[in-house]
Amino acid sequence: MKRYDLIVVGAGPAGLSAAIEGARRGLTVAVFDENAKPGGQLFKQIHKFFGSKEHKAKIRGYDIGAELLESANELGVDVQLNATVIGLYPLKEVVVSDEKEVIHYKADTIIVATGASENTVNFKGWTLPGVIGAGAAQTMMNLHGIKPGKRVLMLGSGNVGLVVSYQLLQAGCEVVSVIDAAPRIGGYGVHAAKVARTGVPFHLSHTIIEATGHDYVTGVTIGEVDKNWQIIEGTEKQFDVDTICIAVGLSPMSQLLKMAGCEMVEDPSKGGTVPTCDAYGETSVPGIYVAGDVSGIEEASSAMIEGRISGIAAAAYLGYIEPSELEEEARVQELSLEALRQGMFAPGKRGKAIKNTDEGYEISQTLLTKGYMSEKEVVRYPGVKKVKGIHPVIECSQNIPCNPCQDSCPKNCIRIGENITALPVFDENTTCIGCGMCIASCSGQSIFLVDEDKEDGYTYITIPYEFFPLPVKGDKGVALDRGGSEIGPAEVMEVKSLKAFDKTHLLTMRVQSAVGMGARFYKQMKEVYVND
Amino acid sequence: MTEKISKIIDRSIDLKPFVSEKDDEMIVCRCEEVTKGQVREAVHAGMYTLQEVRKYLRTGMGLCQGQTCGKLVKKIIAKERGIAPMDLASAVGRAPMRPVEMAVLANEKKEG
Amino acid sequence: MTNQADVVIIGGGVIGNAAAYYLAKAGKSVIVLEKSDDIGDGGSTRNGGGVRQSGRHPAEMPLAIYGVQNLWPGLSEALGVNVEYYQEGNLRLGKTEVHMNILQNLVDKGKALGLELDLVSGDVARGINPYLSDEVMGAIWCPTDGHANPLLVTLAFYKKARELGARFITGETVTEIRKVKGKARKVITEANVYEGDKIILAAGYASRKIAESIGIDLLMKQVLLEVLVTEAQPKMFYQMLGTAGADFYGHQSTHGSFVFGGTSGLDAYATEDDKKPTAGMTAPSICRGIISYFPEMAEFKIIRTWAGYIDDTADHIPVISHIEEVPGLIVACGFSGHGFGISPSVGMLLSEMAMDQRTTLNIEPFRYDRFKAKI
Repeated sequence: MKRYDLIVVGAGPAGLSAAIEGARRGLTVAVFDENAKPGGQLFKQIHKFFGSKEHKAKIRGYDIGAELLESANELGVDVQLNATVIGLYPLKEVVVSDEKEVIHYKADTIIVATGASENTVNFKGWTLPGVIGAGAAQTMMNLHGIKPGKRVLMLGSGNVGLVVSYQLLQAGCEVVSVIDAAPRIGGYGVHAAKVARTGVPFHLSHTIIEATGHDYVTGVTIGEVDKNWQIIEGTEKQFDVDTICIAVGLSPMSQLLKMAGCEMVEDPSKGGTVPTCDAYGETSVPGIYVAGDVSGIEEASSAMIEGRISGIAAAAYLGYIEPSELEEEARVQELSLEALRQGMFAPGKRGKAIKNTDEGYEISQTLLTKGYMSEKEVVRYPGVKKVKGIHPVIECSQNIPCNPCQDSCPKNCIRIGENITALPVFDENTTCIGCGMCIASCSGQSIFLVDEDKEDGYTYITIPYEFFPLPVKGDKGVALDRGGSEIGPAEVMEVKSLKAFDKTHLLTMRVQSAVGMGARFYKQMKEVYVND
Repeated sequence: MTEKISKIIDRSIDLKPFVSEKDDEMIVCRCEEVTKGQVREAVHAGMYTLQEVRKYLRTGMGLCQGQTCGKLVKKIIAKERGIAPMDLASAVGRAPMRPVEMAVLANEKKEG
Repeated sequence: MTNQADVVIIGGGVIGNAAAYYLAKAGKSVIVLEKSDDIGDGGSTRNGGGVRQSGRHPAEMPLAIYGVQNLWPGLSEALGVNVEYYQEGNLRLGKTEVHMNILQNLVDKGKALGLELDLVSGDVARGINPYLSDEVMGAIWCPTDGHANPLLVTLAFYKKARELGARFITGETVTEIRKVKGKARKVITEANVYEGDKIILAAGYASRKIAESIGIDLLMKQVLLEVLVTEAQPKMFYQMLGTAGADFYGHQSTHGSFVFGGTSGLDAYATEDDKKPTAGMTAPSICRGIISYFPEMAEFKIIRTWAGYIDDTADHIPVISHIEEVPGLIVACGFSGHGFGISPSVGMLLSEMAMDQRTTLNIEPFRYDRFKAKI
């Protein structure tokens, strides 16, 4: 049996990152992944990542995946696809099936980075075709180019539910509503805002009563729940849909670790059954490590760091580096990981009702319950200021670890500071040149360029736009407010698509001044307003 | 991570009598088509653990090996017993992690 | 609730549960102590489900025949659970002359005890089961043999015994048995002390350490075997299968999946591990064995493999015995890989023994003190 220094199970963000760190230090490394494409969840993530530069902020998931794969290949890592690890046998024997034969390998160290699978929820009719996981819908759309359906209801308002709702819209599906049994939206406010401004309504404190249909889903009934999760009579609402997406969390796929004899623990805060492990990811079986979602549900950015730490730890275990080197490098990685685990959505704050930001600004409750802020609320934040001429309006109102906007502005108009969870501040003493880089670099799509002085009676608003077909200069349509309601006529004055914007198109629309602070999205209309 | 509670369980403990609920007909294990009511009845018949319910009803023995229904079945058992779902042990992980044809498993690659 | 009972049974497997059932049915108070969190965690629920009379040691055969004639047919009804008992015969297959000799020998042994069985040709075997490969030279055909679902049988005995008032306690690890005034009475666990007028020790291999605490040596060694299960298939056949070469054994279940047990040949040397891990080499070997007899099964998908211990004695038949030097102690263990098929009979016998009755069947060959030096 061929014996590697390190075998990594799973070529996702954690697995590839681990393999890279191991190979970099001289280990012979093989990575096995059951999929046809490497990158795990990264290849489905068509949105831009958060965090800071070290966390690959503002880079789209699939580009990060491609980068990792390239690095792995350059370092001589043996990445095998369509290779399912069917068993982790005693003495670190790894058996792989390629659907033609099985191959036995041995390893001195193993890093299991098999990720997680989607949870499901029961309701009447949940087994009808058309009820699918949000992640499954994402795979269909982003990997296979197939629309999961035409009219979709999304259950779950965590980041997965919000991000996939947006991607469903991009794929041309209609999202009739995003619902959640919880009283508050679970994911980032900016993810919700992207969806809300297109007109998708949110129904919090609602759950699915029944999916209807004979051979497949043709409708869904939802209802409001009280404090005891019981349906309140009379609150039933019915939607005609052909698809119901379920985004109710993930569970680590830790079966290989169980098989290998690792000590396991049931930990709801980690999403399910995980192996016990130390700070380097080493489980109770010496030489077997875990990294990424399989060790506890988080996100791709943290998975990459955990992968790196485990890869470095494996190198130390095998004597390729000194223990002191492991300590040093792990410390650096841990600091990077800590930076991600800050802010309003930090693991320690889960489930808590937060009233104010760290700076003391009141958190928008409508953002948490409806997915958008009111005009009155928006102006209280430091990114929103009224000045003459073109200037960025940054509608970022929650402390999340994210700062690409700061680095994007050539005129230093936007400031966040050392602590990347701080709210971005617009410095009115700077001069904005209207280049639009801030709009494109904001992964939350919450930066707009506003110019109230360019033309009398009108406000020019530049918004990020990631939908096809792309409008063109001269198109006439309707401006929508943050909640997706039509607010007045809008004319497209310019659509800018630069390579530097990385597929975020900048659409400048002209609306009447009165609605300048309200208009935040553009919708093509066939009819033209008389009063234009 | 919580403290491990005492593992000694007397199976003669009187569970509240079985009362049918209106969603008993709902399928919880899709692969084996086992309903919620069947799981609840099994607990009252003495199947207190995920393993016992699994062997008795086949929940978690289908193609997905419990990946979909595991958490749900645990919740139901826990509710009938009046304990927390996380106090129930999950099923053991076994090879093959994905279904493999006998011919493939039989075909071990020779050392090259 | 008191920790005293007429009978304390150590071990919540099929043997212990069956004994509990028969005793509870007879009105005795019973406490069953199981060390794991799950009833039926050991060999009881890991085996191939065979209910056969053929191919057994002459000492076991009467127990098997009695069970098939008197206990198995009515078991589902008695226990209130469909245990999926099929009496559709047993084919023990052979591919070589050596196999044929082994099979003939077993046929002779069976006939001597009045069992109806025959050595049939490969063609006749294929007539009974059309899925057999052309390599099959011949087979033992025993029409009254069959199989059942070991998971359901084990849990059904438990369920019914519990309904009849037997008290089952899981998570109780027995460490010691102790005499009181010359009689075995106390069963000491890590946390509690129980007392019984009679004690039945039916804890598989763990019986050994417990018996040592009261000065009894139960000679057994553990051999780890493996089983694999396929996804459901349309109904093909319901005979129980085995081979002369002991390559594999198994059947198609009511569910439609095939359950096959087997060995790699090196199983006696498997490293000791309570978690019962499977070995990388074994399942492929079992598959090759199956495919050579059933070529069509090559396409069937395996969805799970597991391992379980058989507790082997020096003569490969169990210990089912009063321990006279420890009055009140009864032992049932060491079933050497074929306990499931005789479990109802053994349960019945144990209940008779615990009630000081004459046993329906002869248990002399199963004495605990039969193991003697060779000279």
